[in-house]
Amino acid sequence: MSETAAGRGWGGQDVRRELHSELLEINMGPQHPATHGVLRLLVRTDGEIVHGVTAHIGYLHRCAEKIAEGCDWRQWMVYTDRFDYLAPINMNFGYAVAVERMLGVQVPERAEHIRIICAELQRIASHLIAIGTFGLDMGAWTPLLYCFREREEILNILERLTGGRMLYNYFDIGGLRFDAYDGFERDVLAFVNIMEQKIPEYDTLLSYNKIFIERTADVGVIDLATCLAYGCTGPVLRGAGVPFDCRKDDPYSIYDRFEFDIPYGEGEQGTVGDCWDRYMVRMREMYESCRIIRQAVDALPGGPVKAEDLKKLVKVPQGSLYTRTESSKGEIGYHVFADGGSKPFRTKVRSPSFSNLHVIEKVGPGMMLSDLVATVGSLDIVLGEIDR
Amino acid sequence: MSGDLVFYGFALLTVLSGFFVVASRNVVHAAFSLLFTLFGVAGLYAQLGADFLAVTQTVVYIGGILVLVIFAVMMTRIPRGDAPRRGLDRAVPAAILALLVFALIYMVIVGTRWPERAAGAPEATVAEIGTGLMTTFVFPFEYASLVLLAAMVGAAILIRERAPADDAADADDAAGEGEVRS
Amino acid sequence: MQVMTDLFARIFGDGLSSLGLLVAGGLTMALIMALVMASCAIVFTWAERKVAGFIQSRYGPMRVGRWHGVLQPVADMVKILGKEDIVPRDADKPLFMLAPFVIFVGSLMAWAAIPFAPGFIAADLDLGLFYIFAVSSAATIGILMAGWASNNKWSLYGAARGAAQAVSYEIPLALACIPVVMITGSLNMNDIVIAQQGGIWRWHFLHDPFLFVAFLLYFVASIAEVNRGPFDLPETESELVAGYHTEYTGMRFAFFFLAEYANLFLVSCVATAVFLGGWQPLFGPVFLPGLVFVIKAVLLVLLQMWLRWTLPRLRVDQLMHVCWKVMVPLALVCVLGAGIWMLATGQAG
Repeated sequence: MSETAAGRGWGGQDVRRELHSELLEINMGPQHPATHGVLRLLVRTDGEIVHGVTAHIGYLHRCAEKIAEGCDWRQWMVYTDRFDYLAPINMNFGYAVAVERMLGVQVPERAEHIRIICAELQRIASHLIAIGTFGLDMGAWTPLLYCFREREEILNILERLTGGRMLYNYFDIGGLRFDAYDGFERDVLAFVNIMEQKIPEYDTLLSYNKIFIERTADVGVIDLATCLAYGCTGPVLRGAGVPFDCRKDDPYSIYDRFEFDIPYGEGEQGTVGDCWDRYMVRMREMYESCRIIRQAVDALPGGPVKAEDLKKLVKVPQGSLYTRTESSKGEIGYHVFADGGSKPFRTKVRSPSFSNLHVIEKVGPGMMLSDLVATVGSLDIVLGEIDR
Repeated sequence: MSGDLVFYGFALLTVLSGFFVVASRNVVHAAFSLLFTLFGVAGLYAQLGADFLAVTQTVVYIGGILVLVIFAVMMTRIPRGDAPRRGLDRAVPAAILALLVFALIYMVIVGTRWPERAAGAPEATVAEIGTGLMTTFVFPFEYASLVLLAAMVGAAILIRERAPADDAADADDAAGEGEVRS
Repeated sequence: MQVMTDLFARIFGDGLSSLGLLVAGGLTMALIMALVMASCAIVFTWAERKVAGFIQSRYGPMRVGRWHGVLQPVADMVKILGKEDIVPRDADKPLFMLAPFVIFVGSLMAWAAIPFAPGFIAADLDLGLFYIFAVSSAATIGILMAGWASNNKWSLYGAARGAAQAVSYEIPLALACIPVVMITGSLNMNDIVIAQQGGIWRWHFLHDPFLFVAFLLYFVASIAEVNRGPFDLPETESELVAGYHTEYTGMRFAFFFLAEYANLFLVSCVATAVFLGGWQPLFGPVFLPGLVFVIKAVLLVLLQMWLRWTLPRLRVDQLMHVCWKVMVPLALVCVLGAGIWMLATGQAG
C-alpha cells in the first residue's frame, strides 16, 4: 500500500512505513471548531498524517422520523425545518412535494413560483455558509464575514416573507401558508443584482487566491466511483465531474420551465473531484440560482397560494412513495408510507449529508491533518440533517 | 563586588538546575531544566566578557539543541512497569565513577596554566573573532563547514525513502502488526 | 540604559554607588520595557479588532470608552483578571505554570536591544542583532513547555508545529539580516541605524536590489516567527482548537496573548531598525526620533494585520517547503549578491 499525502509539488510526503511510530488516536469533536457541529471524528494519526478516520454521529438525533408517526401530515412540516437548519426551505420543499405527489394535488402557479424563489434564495444562503466556513477552515476569516453580509440580505427578505430568520415553516402541503408581501419581487430582484456583483469579489478574495488553491487543489479527491459507492450527491457528486442535479434530471415543481446550467467540476486547478472543484461548484451554483430567481420573478403570476380543494386535515391514500429533491447539500429524499389515515405510517428521510460525510472514511487515510479539515469543510455537512 | 554577586547568581542557577537535570525522575522535567543550566552558563560567559560565546551558546544550545532534545524526549513514551532498581550495587559503582570523573576534571583545571587578563570592562570580541575566522583560522573554519555539510547529506540519505521493492516488504511487515490500513 | 543611568547620576549626584546606579537604571529600563510590552498588547488588540472590522466591513468594538471602543482592551484586561485560573488535573503542573512566563521573558529580554531613539536603548550591545535572535529563540522552549505540560493532544500538535516552525524560520530571518550586517560592519543596533542616516535613499532596504529582497524575506519570515496568519499553524483555531494554549485560562492565557503582540511589535521594530532606517526620518534632520521609530514599526504591524485578515493559512508541509526550499536559498543568494554588489561598487573594506 502506498499512502500519499494529498497535494502536489510539495516534495516527498509519502508515508514512510519504516519511520512511523505509534498511532495517536485523537477525537476531533464533538466540540471542535472544524467539525461544523456536533460531529465526532475519531482520527488516528501518525504525526501530521492521518491513518484512519471514523465518523461518530448521533449527537443531534431528535427522533424526527418517529415523531412523524404521531403528528398529522401538515404538522410534520415543522420538523423538516430542523433537519438542515441552514437550508430549511429546501427541506420543506422536499416533504411538500412528496405529500403532494401522493395526494395528487395541483399546487397553484403563484405558490410554485414563490416556492422556487424561496428555495433558490435558501440555496444561495446555504452555499454562502458553506463557502464562508470552508474559507474559515483554511484560515481565511474575512470571506466568512463577507458571506454573512450577503446572507443577511436573504434572511431579511425571508424574515419579511415568513416571520422567521432561521426556521421558516413557510411551505404547506398544497402551497404556502400565506401569500408574499407587497414588494417581495422588488426586494428579491434588488438582492439578486447585488449578489451577482459580489460573487466576483469572493473569487478575488478566496477562490483564486494562491494559498487557497494550494490548500484545496488536488486535496481530498473524491472520484466518481467513490461517489457512487457512498451515494454522494449534490456538489460532491457534481464536483466529481457529473452534472447530475434533481432539478434537471428528475424535475419536480416547475423547475423544467427555467433555463439554468448545472455546474460541475472540471479539475480546473487540479484533479477532478478535489476540494477546489466542490467549492467552485457551489460558487457557480449561486450564479445559476440567481438566474432561476430572475426568471421566476419575471414569470410570477397572481392568484391563490393554496390548493383550494384540500381539507385542513389531509388524509393521504394508502401507499408509499420516494420523492427526491435537490437541497443545497444534495439529494434529499422523503420516503413516505401512508396507511390512508391522517398521520404518516412511517417516514424515512434520505439525508445527503449523511452519505457525503462518510466518504471521509474512504478518502481520509493518507491525508495530512489540515487536509482532513479541508475535506470535511468541502463536504459541507449539517449535523441536524445527518442525525435528524 | 557587583561582578561577584552576578557570578554567584549565575553559578547558583547553573549548579542547581544542573543538579535537577541529573536528579529529576521525570525525564521531561530534566530536559526543561536544562534550559536554566544552559542559560546560566551563557550568563557566566557574558560575565567573563565572552559576549559572542554567550550569545552563541543561547542560539545553538537553547534555540537548537535543547529544542531537539525536548522534542525527542517528548515524543518518547515514559517507560512503564517496574521502577528501576536503586540498590547499592548501582549506587556504589556510579559514585566511584562520578568521583573519578570529578578528580580528572579537577586535576585538569588545577594543572592548566590559564592565560590571565587584566580585570576591566569586557571588550567587544565579535570583531576579533570575525577577523580571526576569516584570516588565521579560515582553513579550519571552512573545513568545519565541509564536515557539517557532509553530516547533513548523510542525515538526508539516512532518512531518504527506500526503493519501492523495500516498501512492499515493509507493508507486509506492517500488516502483521494489525495496523490501521486503508 | 545609559540614559537612565545618567539621569539617576544627575538626580542623586554622588549619593549612589556605581552598582546602585546600574541596578536603578536597569530596573527602570526593565520596567519601561515591560510597560511598552503591556501597552503593545493593549493598543494592538484594539487595533487588530479595528483592522479586522475595517477589512470585514464591520465596526469592531464600539461601546466601551465612547470613541470607537478605545477602552475595550482595558475592559478585556479587567475581565481576564477575574477569570478562573484552571490547571487541568492531568497537566504537568510546574511546567504548565511556568510556560507562559518563559515565553514572556524570552520576548521581554529581546526588547533590551531595540534602539528606539539615539541613546534610548536598554542594552547597547555590540552583538545587539545577534542577541535579539538568540533570546527570542528561547520562546520556542516556552511553546514546547506549554504544549507538553497541558497534556492535551491538540496542544502537543500545536507545540510540535510551533517549535518546528520557529526553529526553521529563524534561519531565513537571521540570514536576511546578514547583508545589512555586511554593509554596516556591525551587529550593534545603534550603529546599524546610524549607518542609514540621510533620508530614505540611505535606508538599507533601498541600498541595492538584494537588500530589498532580503527585506521582503525578513518580513515574511518574521510573520512566521511570531506565528501569525497566514503562518499561524501552531494555533490554527480551525484545526488544533487553539494550539499550544488550548488549556490556558485567565492571566496565564493573557501572558501568551501579551507575548504574541509584544513579539509582533518586536519583529517590526527590528525590521524598522535594520531595514527602514530606525529613527531616521524620510528626509531632513533627525526629528522626534522615538516617534518616527514607533510610527514605522506600527505601520509594519498594521501590514501584518492586513495580511492576517486577508490570506488563508498554509499547510504545515507547505510552510516548511516555503522556508527551506524557497526562503533559505533566496536569503543565501541575497547574502552572496549583496557581497558582490559591495565589491562591485567598491564599498568593501
